[in-house]
Amino acid sequence: MTSQHGEGDPAAKERLARMKSLEEILNTAMAFEKTMQTFYEQLVGKVRKPLRELVAELAEEEKRHYELFEGVRDHPETEAHIRDRIAVPVNDHRFSDYVHMPALGDHPDDQAILQYAMGREQAAYEHYSDLAETAPEGPLKDLFRFLSDEELRHKGDLEKRYYEIIHSGGV
Amino acid sequence: MRPENYNPVQHPPSHEYELYFGPNHPGIEGNYAIRVRLNGDLIQEAITDGGYLHRGFEKLMEQRLWIQNIALVPRICVPDPVPMEEAYARAVEALGGLEVPERAQWIRAMMLEMSRICAHLFTFGGNAATIGLYTNMFWGITMRDLFLDIFEEITGARIYHMYITPGGVRRDLPAGALDRLETVIEELERRTPEFEDLFFDSAVVIKRARGVGVISLENALAWGVTGPNLRASGMPSDVRRDDPYLVYPDIEFDVPTEIEGDALARLRVRQAEVTQSVRILRQVIERLRMIEGPVRCPLPNPLAWNIPAGEAYTRVESSKGEVGFFAVSDGGPKPYRVHVRGPSQMHAVQVLERVLKGSRLEDIAQIMFSLDACPPEVDR
Amino acid sequence: MDVTPKYKGSFVKPLKALSHLFREPVTLPMVPRPASDVYRGFHVNDWEACVGCGTCRQICDNAAIRMVRIPGLPDEPAKGIKPRRPAIDYGRCCWCALCVDICPTGSLSLSREYIHVSPDVNTYFILPDEKGMHGLNFPKGWAKSDDSDLLDLGRQEMPALEAEARGDNFGEIVHGYDEQAAILEASRCIQCGMCHEACPAHMHAPEYIRAIWDGDKERAVREIYRTNPFPEVCGRVCTHRCETACSIGRRGAPIAIRWLKRYAMAVVDDARVRDIALEGMAEARTGRSVGIVGAGPAGLTAAFDLAKLGHDVTVYEAKPEPGGMMRYGIPEYRLPYDRLDADIAVIRAAGADIRCDSPIGPDLPMAGLRETHDAVMLASGLGLGRSTRVPGTDHSEVRSAVDLLDSITRGESIRVPRAAVVIGGGNVAFDIARSLARLQKRTHGRVDMTLVALEERDHMLADEDEVVEAQEEGVVVINGRGPKEVVKGGTFGRGLRGLETVRCLSIFDGEGRFHPRYDEDDVILHEADMVIEAIGQASDTGYLGEELTEALEWQRGRIKIDPDGATSVSGLWAAGDMVEGPDVIHAVAAGHRVAASIHRFLGGGTTTAEAAE
Repeated sequence: MTSQHGEGDPAAKERLARMKSLEEILNTAMAFEKTMQTFYEQLVGKVRKPLRELVAELAEEEKRHYELFEGVRDHPETEAHIRDRIAVPVNDHRFSDYVHMPALGDHPDDQAILQYAMGREQAAYEHYSDLAETAPEGPLKDLFRFLSDEELRHKGDLEKRYYEIIHSGGV
Repeated sequence: MRPENYNPVQHPPSHEYELYFGPNHPGIEGNYAIRVRLNGDLIQEAITDGGYLHRGFEKLMEQRLWIQNIALVPRICVPDPVPMEEAYARAVEALGGLEVPERAQWIRAMMLEMSRICAHLFTFGGNAATIGLYTNMFWGITMRDLFLDIFEEITGARIYHMYITPGGVRRDLPAGALDRLETVIEELERRTPEFEDLFFDSAVVIKRARGVGVISLENALAWGVTGPNLRASGMPSDVRRDDPYLVYPDIEFDVPTEIEGDALARLRVRQAEVTQSVRILRQVIERLRMIEGPVRCPLPNPLAWNIPAGEAYTRVESSKGEVGFFAVSDGGPKPYRVHVRGPSQMHAVQVLERVLKGSRLEDIAQIMFSLDACPPEVDR
Repeated sequence: MDVTPKYKGSFVKPLKALSHLFREPVTLPMVPRPASDVYRGFHVNDWEACVGCGTCRQICDNAAIRMVRIPGLPDEPAKGIKPRRPAIDYGRCCWCALCVDICPTGSLSLSREYIHVSPDVNTYFILPDEKGMHGLNFPKGWAKSDDSDLLDLGRQEMPALEAEARGDNFGEIVHGYDEQAAILEASRCIQCGMCHEACPAHMHAPEYIRAIWDGDKERAVREIYRTNPFPEVCGRVCTHRCETACSIGRRGAPIAIRWLKRYAMAVVDDARVRDIALEGMAEARTGRSVGIVGAGPAGLTAAFDLAKLGHDVTVYEAKPEPGGMMRYGIPEYRLPYDRLDADIAVIRAAGADIRCDSPIGPDLPMAGLRETHDAVMLASGLGLGRSTRVPGTDHSEVRSAVDLLDSITRGESIRVPRAAVVIGGGNVAFDIARSLARLQKRTHGRVDMTLVALEERDHMLADEDEVVEAQEEGVVVINGRGPKEVVKGGTFGRGLRGLETVRCLSIFDGEGRFHPRYDEDDVILHEADMVIEAIGQASDTGYLGEELTEALEWQRGRIKIDPDGATSVSGLWAAGDMVEGPDVIHAVAAGHRVAASIHRFLGGGTTTAEAAE
């Protein structure tokens, strides 16, 4: 994709700056998932046993996501589009924040962990659905749609769990 | 008996022989037999032999909840089931202190009179058939069927209506039912002269019925005869008049009587009663058009319905005589005892046995029908 | 014989009938005649509406109806749905239609189809569905109508204190049924047993309702105590799953099963109740000992069962009085403490040693408990209040409902806010809102209490009665809003301005999962000098110690138990709110299960409670 405007147009330049290649996007996403997986895995060792199962499941889920991205990256169809540039949403920074090691303290309780995990899934969901908005019709759009749906589903699972645990069945 | 077993000492020569009369027809005369000892065709002795249709109603009622019996009682008398429902319902109402709403009372009176007309039409038909006049039977049954259509429209059933329930009736009349009943009544009135031509004025009928099966007033009272049979012997007795129930005090009607006390008189009383019932129905229809309101008082949960301890006797004038229900409650969910006083019990056993004595073989069916006894009701 | 001419009759007149030869015959055609609108033909049954209660079978005067279990149909005892449908034997049916008139759902009708001819006797035994006997979709004939309905769908009213009379005190609101109301209410029951199936403790509700109707109150108490040692409590505050499942509730008001239980307990005096409850006590002591942590409904139910079976039972309770949430959570206007004490007195009379002010901890370590007793049961409940953790909830005037209710029960003097906001829409939220409203009325002479719930009015988690009564008492209930932020500073001088809420557009997603969506532009500030959070509770399992915590298996943050309530550690059981979520009757049911399991573990046989089920 190239700009319709001349090189000298500052607006165009800014827009260009907000374009990333699919390769970059995928790498960021995978780093994101990997970080989370490592984060949860380390957390397993820190929390008390009642919470361990929860954290381990979260780690497992992130691992699954990572593998999903790997599959996407290595897919032949992705190869063809790997250099395509896509407009990156404005709130990209929010998503990127989560790529870095988050601050949750050393002894978070179930509520903190779940709230954190839900926030993360929400950011990822918004990120991918914005990308799906801007991506051209075709396999790329479908890919981001798929990814955003995947994050949304995961977030839904977490919310249900949050409701059950924190609202203790709604008393 | 084999001829070789014949012993002149043990078996003196006689002109008498025994005949087993019936049972052959599940219905009015059927499932009911009479053993008659005859000399020629003169009846020396008649012994009634019931029990072919024994269904143990009275005992069964003790096994069933108060409400469940509404499905049982109409079956006591097939051709005229409504008085049974009415008498039972009223017995429960008396024990349980239930008030029947006014509309329901009028509806019940309507059902009772329709049932009376049906039963009489049925009897005319059957009576005629016993002396070989089948055309009349077809006419009677056809006319009755028009009333059964109305029954079906109102209650959902043609014969066993199971419609009257303690506290009222089970549901309100459907729209237009009264209009259609009026049409049927008009048709009945239109056909009445034809009936008279064919049956009541027929010389054959009169010759066969006159002087047959005579019951004197004295005997009638002694034998417990009730209803049209008693009125045919000259006693103007009618429960609707003597011990009024429902809305009968508000209704104008005559109690027709004859004095001869024979089969013909009994037929003519019934003939006149159909006319009176039509007169009653017209008044009921008029009132029902004006009276609105519920058709049943609120009932307790039928599965948890204890009736206060006590006893009640209620009676209803049926097409065959006085129907009485004597119900006893021990305060439980089921009757402790229900005794049914049915007119056919008297007419088909005590009265029939006595009247047949001295009558002729060919009149047995005629006498039985003129008494209008209902064998299923004998076998309670 | 002399005969008047009129009576001689005529030979000619009957011949007039010959004119009928030229008239149209009245014979009907051979095709079946359509039946009337209320005809009582073969049955039809709407399987979607039918719940399999079997009331038709009960009313059938000929025993023509049998309930047949149908594989694959929904089997939901909690909703009052059984996977069975009526089958009709037309060799017995008399078409009286009492089954139709009494059907609680109105699913059963008689159709206008009336012809069935077959030499095969089996074809007269049918399982009617909505299509009818031969699948011909005949229209309905005799069906449910207002005038033919045999059920009483209205409930006896419960006499209660008016809002003005109860607004400033903690006296019990309901007065209870008098004898006449109780018998009338009990008479509505059709004995279908849906309540028994739906009750977590499988209480014998049909039996005790029938006993009340019979006027045999002691039999009612006996039936009640078969499965529930907290009848005074459950007769007042039970979540009454029974009533949710009640078949009468399909079209009308369910039987007031809870109030009937309350009635039975109220009319039999305490001493007699105790004698009845202790019938069947083991004559000999087993010499085995059981330790129970927590004197709430689960722990005390197990204690009652085990004590009756002859075991030595010791219950350790951290708080000054036994009862757990029944005492420290549920306000006195719903459950007077003396009635709770009556239930507990029976349990004590059975021999359970309840030791209060005995928290498990450094002085009384878990390890010591497991050495002292042959079996140990954990039933310590959900004692910690959850926080929404929206910004500002760390403020000192943001309080937890559980803690405040605890303080009120203890009689501690708490600061009564002039204006308060409660976050939450469940029963606990209403408990604290209504308790504080009473204190406000008493202290300040006026109520300024707002309750903010995420749920819409129609989907409140609290009982309908709670919502209505709270509103009567002056609590302002605001639905469909979620907490955004607790705003500090403000005009009250105590450092709190109030609570900001946002409009909640929806709570659940299309698949029914919790997924609140908010309209961030619709923000309201509810001014208050105290914010109370009542969104949920958590279990404090710190007393277990590190070693036991590690040894136990956990599931979703709770101790993992098998169906009997046994944990993964031998000799250790867990029950009640801490493993099942908050509910008295569930806790009672769990207490029975655990007691039975412990009894078997200690070498006993099947318990009577189990046999009763």
